[in-house]
Amino acid sequence: MSMTSRERVNAALNHQPTNRVPVGEIGGGYVEEFVQAIIGDAYRTDDDGYYHNHKLLRETLRADIIGARALSPVPDQLVGTHPDWGTPVYRNFWGSEVTNPPEATQQLVKPIAETPEDLEKWEPPDWRTFSGDAIARWKQETDFFVMATTNAGFDLGYELLGFEKFMMWTVLEPIVMRGYYEKLIETNIGFARIAAAAGADGILIADDLAYNSGPFVDPNYLRQDYFPLLKKQVSAIHDLGLPVIMHSDGDLHLLMDDLLDCGIDGLQSCDPNANMDIPELKQQYGDRLTFMGNIDINLLAQGSPEEVGRVTRELIQNSRKKGGFILSASNVVTKYCKPDNVLAMYRAVTETEL
Amino acid sequence: MTTVTFDQIAQSVINGATGTITKQVDALLEGGFTAREILNQGLMAGMAVVGDRFRRNEMYLPQVLLSAQAMKSAVDFLKPKLLEESEEGQKAHGKVVVGTVKGDMHDIGKNLVKIMLAGAGFEVIDLGTNVSPQNFVEAVRANQAKYVGLSALLSSTMQNMKAVIDAIRHEPDLDEVRIIIGGAPVSREFAEAIGADGYAPNAASAVDVFKGMEAD
Repeated sequence: MSMTSRERVNAALNHQPTNRVPVGEIGGGYVEEFVQAIIGDAYRTDDDGYYHNHKLLRETLRADIIGARALSPVPDQLVGTHPDWGTPVYRNFWGSEVTNPPEATQQLVKPIAETPEDLEKWEPPDWRTFSGDAIARWKQETDFFVMATTNAGFDLGYELLGFEKFMMWTVLEPIVMRGYYEKLIETNIGFARIAAAAGADGILIADDLAYNSGPFVDPNYLRQDYFPLLKKQVSAIHDLGLPVIMHSDGDLHLLMDDLLDCGIDGLQSCDPNANMDIPELKQQYGDRLTFMGNIDINLLAQGSPEEVGRVTRELIQNSRKKGGFILSASNVVTKYCKPDNVLAMYRAVTETEL
Repeated sequence: MTTVTFDQIAQSVINGATGTITKQVDALLEGGFTAREILNQGLMAGMAVVGDRFRRNEMYLPQVLLSAQAMKSAVDFLKPKLLEESEEGQKAHGKVVVGTVKGDMHDIGKNLVKIMLAGAGFEVIDLGTNVSPQNFVEAVRANQAKYVGLSALLSSTMQNMKAVIDAIRHEPDLDEVRIIIGGAPVSREFAEAIGADGYAPNAASAVDVFKGMEAD
């Protein structure tokens, strides 16, 4: 049975048979150091490098999925230099300022608001000005499943506001925060509209709600002030004719029924370190959700190719029954992941193709 | 005679009542209680409840952050008195150097641990975030610290914890330093695999782990 990547992922999302388990990563998926390690001398740094490199990487791995975003018409604006690290500080289209300290993750330098009053006045960018050209190109020139990346109100909310302030304001300023979620979600529905018009095959909502020991905030708070808005977002995407794959790190057991009620079609990450085991989740929810993920990033960093191959084959064996399963790493493939281990993970999937 | 009780102080910690807690603490000091009594029987008692409820998913991160904020304002208020009392004969615990490892800018977990350790009587030297192995080595040596607490939030940066442990173990004069690690992606198995002396699954239990080592 021959299937394209797009057909394979669509079949998995519809719980239909596939000629092998689909495999691929969400979003950018892989850090550039990893891309370079895999494609070697073919790695390009010119203006079209990203498209060329990521297409070649996925062809090499035989991955089925490409992530792409609606792009802002305005590039990030250089606004200064960080006093401690000497690194450039950029203002992004949301209005927050960020920098990339040497060898570290991106750091928020200036949030979009310092006070609740600021936040009430804050306006998101106009999504209508964003471009779906990158999404359209992947759709037209490849047969990858084009999973357009969007966000919702929670994870993006704390990235723009700062984590501690965001968390404390959920308690101290619930009305302001609800208004904030509404603005973020409306904007992200707009990004999904652009993606749909450009031909995206599905929409990823990336929205971390939990850490390894459970939800960041009280599930009752989410039920009252957040999930009704997320449900509206999922429904709006369904109205565009596209499936919704939700990404959240962490242990989501306490939120599973709520996420199902929001209407999502797939759930990605399923990190074994967070007690999210796909074979077990499939037993309980497998008829209603497609699960994606489950290969521990630490295994890819510290294990051997033999161990990665064995774990991947066992996961496929225990999860492929009745479809509804896509294999991926449980987080971004970082530069710490050994290329041979990632190759072993992909090989263990693709060698099962019928 | 003050009408404020230790239970009320504990409740203010639990409720994250930053606005009122220092007034309550001041009233107890005026009433003749020592700073150490207020810390142990009021503030730490409240934070212990917060830790228990957090572990049982009965309290969540926003409430814990508000509690930690209230605790910090009270501990800052008490600090001069606590130092006076230490000089009068209270034995302080050992010094702890804490920091988030290289590549990682997250500090909430590390800050919670710092507040809890300071409250429990440890002297804490906070190196901040994105700290290189060499900076840990230098800070431990300069402060003659007995303990190191390493934090990471990212599964990518947790790999850098091993570099810190290796750097400290490489120094013969630091061979008695005990290293405890924690953070969202870290597990007991990982701690053992990289040669840490201890693992703390959360901020509340970190105090117990450090105290346990102090008793060894």
